[in-house]
Amino acid sequence: MSKTATTQYGPVNASPVKSFFVSMLTRDIKLEEAILDLLDNCVDGVLRSKRQHSDGKPYRGFFAEIDFRKDSFSISDNCGGIPWNLHDYAFRMGRSEDRPRDAPGTVGVYGIGMKRAVFKMGAHCLISTHNGQNQYEVEIKPEWMTNETDWMIPVRVAKKSMKTPGTTIYVASLHPGIAARFSEDSKVFKSDLERMVATHYAFIIDKGFEVKINGGSVKPRPTKLIFSDQKGGMKPFVFQSRTRDGVDVFLTVGFTRPIPTEEELANEQEETRYSSIDAGWTVVCNDRAVLYCDRSELTGWGEAGVPRYHTQFIAITGIVEFKCEDASKLPTTTTKRGIDASSTLYLQVKNKMRESMRMFVDYTNKWKGRASEAKRHIEGARALPFEELKQAAGKLPLKPTTKTVPEGKQYRPDLPLPKKTESTKRRISFTKGADEVRCVAEHLFKDRNADPSAVGERCFDIFLREAQK
Amino acid sequence: MSQPAYHLRPNKAVDRLALVDAIRCLEGLAELAEYTYYTLGGPYLEDVRLLYEFFPQIGMVSLEREEAVLERQKFHVPCSRVELKRADLKSFVARYDPKDMKSIFWLDYTGLEYGNFEDFMALLAKVAENSMVKVTLRAEAGDYFDKPDEDVGQNAERFRRQFGAVLPTPTTDPPRGLVGFATLLQEMLQIAAQNALPSATGLMFQPVSSFCYSDGTGIMTLTGVICHREKRATVRKAFAKWDLANLDWKPPRRIDVPVLSTRERLQLQGSLPCGSGAGKTLRAVLGHLIEDSPKKTEKRLQQYADFHRYFPYFMKAIP
Repeated sequence: MSKTATTQYGPVNASPVKSFFVSMLTRDIKLEEAILDLLDNCVDGVLRSKRQHSDGKPYRGFFAEIDFRKDSFSISDNCGGIPWNLHDYAFRMGRSEDRPRDAPGTVGVYGIGMKRAVFKMGAHCLISTHNGQNQYEVEIKPEWMTNETDWMIPVRVAKKSMKTPGTTIYVASLHPGIAARFSEDSKVFKSDLERMVATHYAFIIDKGFEVKINGGSVKPRPTKLIFSDQKGGMKPFVFQSRTRDGVDVFLTVGFTRPIPTEEELANEQEETRYSSIDAGWTVVCNDRAVLYCDRSELTGWGEAGVPRYHTQFIAITGIVEFKCEDASKLPTTTTKRGIDASSTLYLQVKNKMRESMRMFVDYTNKWKGRASEAKRHIEGARALPFEELKQAAGKLPLKPTTKTVPEGKQYRPDLPLPKKTESTKRRISFTKGADEVRCVAEHLFKDRNADPSAVGERCFDIFLREAQK
Repeated sequence: MSQPAYHLRPNKAVDRLALVDAIRCLEGLAELAEYTYYTLGGPYLEDVRLLYEFFPQIGMVSLEREEAVLERQKFHVPCSRVELKRADLKSFVARYDPKDMKSIFWLDYTGLEYGNFEDFMALLAKVAENSMVKVTLRAEAGDYFDKPDEDVGQNAERFRRQFGAVLPTPTTDPPRGLVGFATLLQEMLQIAAQNALPSATGLMFQPVSSFCYSDGTGIMTLTGVICHREKRATVRKAFAKWDLANLDWKPPRRIDVPVLSTRERLQLQGSLPCGSGAGKTLRAVLGHLIEDSPKKTEKRLQQYADFHRYFPYFMKAIP
């Protein structure tokens, strides 16, 4: 560097600019996910209110109503409102270190969800809340959003009295793209949002919480696994642990349905038969699904000896639940709809996910082409939702695992293997033109749409009888 | 090979003639000679014959994947303006380049598969402005309730797995009745249309008509025009005076025309059209019941009044 340089170095300004929060951070999250962030706040409110029921339906009686239209969005709940002592956390961008300790089990960690959701949707917002003796409202105006120096938001006594403790967030001056999704694209947006709520909130709705979207109540769509009470019947793999950090882990993987037939696999290659696939891993943190039916490397597919996901594995489903009173120990991202893939805890549990998945991948491979035989392994079995599965798992002979981290207890099902028949049986597989197969199907079965494998088998049987004469 | 007997499908015949009306409304948007009609016409090319009769200026292309059916089409071809192509619809749509040429597509499926919705979405994203797309789907709720080896819950779950991506709600149970099931299919098509043409594209699928009927098998059919959003009013205006128009995604209109003899039809002809209470009026004109009760008779005659202009005469002919 030249000795004659005259630049005078001084401190640089590293303070945040408002537009980063108002229009940049909002790009990291989908609209539907931003709305789920608002629902998370509602549920956190229930946990703070300490009014939960203890009958397995802790959220019974609590609701959140989402209403969207061309020019506005609102979400109202009866979940206890925002305590005045948390106002600094609720309305400040990011979480300050000295904030009061929150109720156990809440998932708010980063202090950005509600603000980001509001900024994502519009430029004008009114938040009214009723908590205990406090009833106040906060209005964020379009001018505030664009003023880089004014970070203060006025608070006033609520103009309208709220009968029950809760919060209403009303967003107007919607951004044009958002207004279009709430009006011209409303059918598909509502369908997408409802699907996300039904899957990601399945556990919470199942525990009594009610979510309404534009007046209609959302029914949960829980992931279910096949569980046979019979000896030797199909059961899932189960792993349970409590880490030194105090995180409870419950992992289970099994089948949601019979393994696919050859015909199903061939058809799926030709044309999409199922638009919605329940296969893959669902990861749940404090009752919220943060990943739903993931079939990527993020959950162990296609790495460390586990094959990449393929339709052949359409029946395999796993659920991992992380529970902790301190949400900062959960392996989630700031959007709470993703996994922090570098979290040590998650990487340790992912090892277990891959280990358990291999068992079911192997079973599927072994029984490939014998789907009808394999079907008897699940005859009479029930498809259990997660909570029932956890109860049923309590009766299984879990054995301690000390060699793996985290340590815990597990149940490894004894998955049946096909008898060794290779020496007496041979597989025949061939491809013929669809027209030709239909033609032979018509000839043999008087049904042009008869199962092609049945057509092939009948042809063989006919010629076998000929040959044996 | 089994193909539906066309002379036994009066409701389908009405639907086909309603398409003729819909195409006539297109004249308000563009010259019909600028359009090409694409169809999965089946062995008899009945729709091709009909369209040639009404709109000889429209070029026509028939898509057929089975060689044997294609041979029968060659036999039945009603005019030289139709090009018979051996092609699979999915592959055809993948390669289709409209080059700004307007088209009228009739995706006349006999079944109900998720792939049908995929074809529909792929096509909407490709066709030129002011093109018309008509899609026909099987609407047999019984397909999801009458499987003896599965219980109702499993059947509904199979339906949800199959069509989850286009269902209005993820926990939808398929309704059992024809109109209910057809209405659900129409909602699924609306979701597919919004998926294919989100508002950001500037284009939209404007519905113009939708019907459901059963000639033994439940059928739902939806027709719409692809247009720029700001020209939506122009399209609506072009169809506004059509008495069968459905411009606002209302539930599909039921077609359920009665089986009437030629003598009965001639008897009624002089009283048509008649205003409100057509069923009652026509029952009085006819003087006898055609169903097992006066109420049912009036309902069917109301249908006849609504669709009599579209009701073909099926006559015995000496070839």
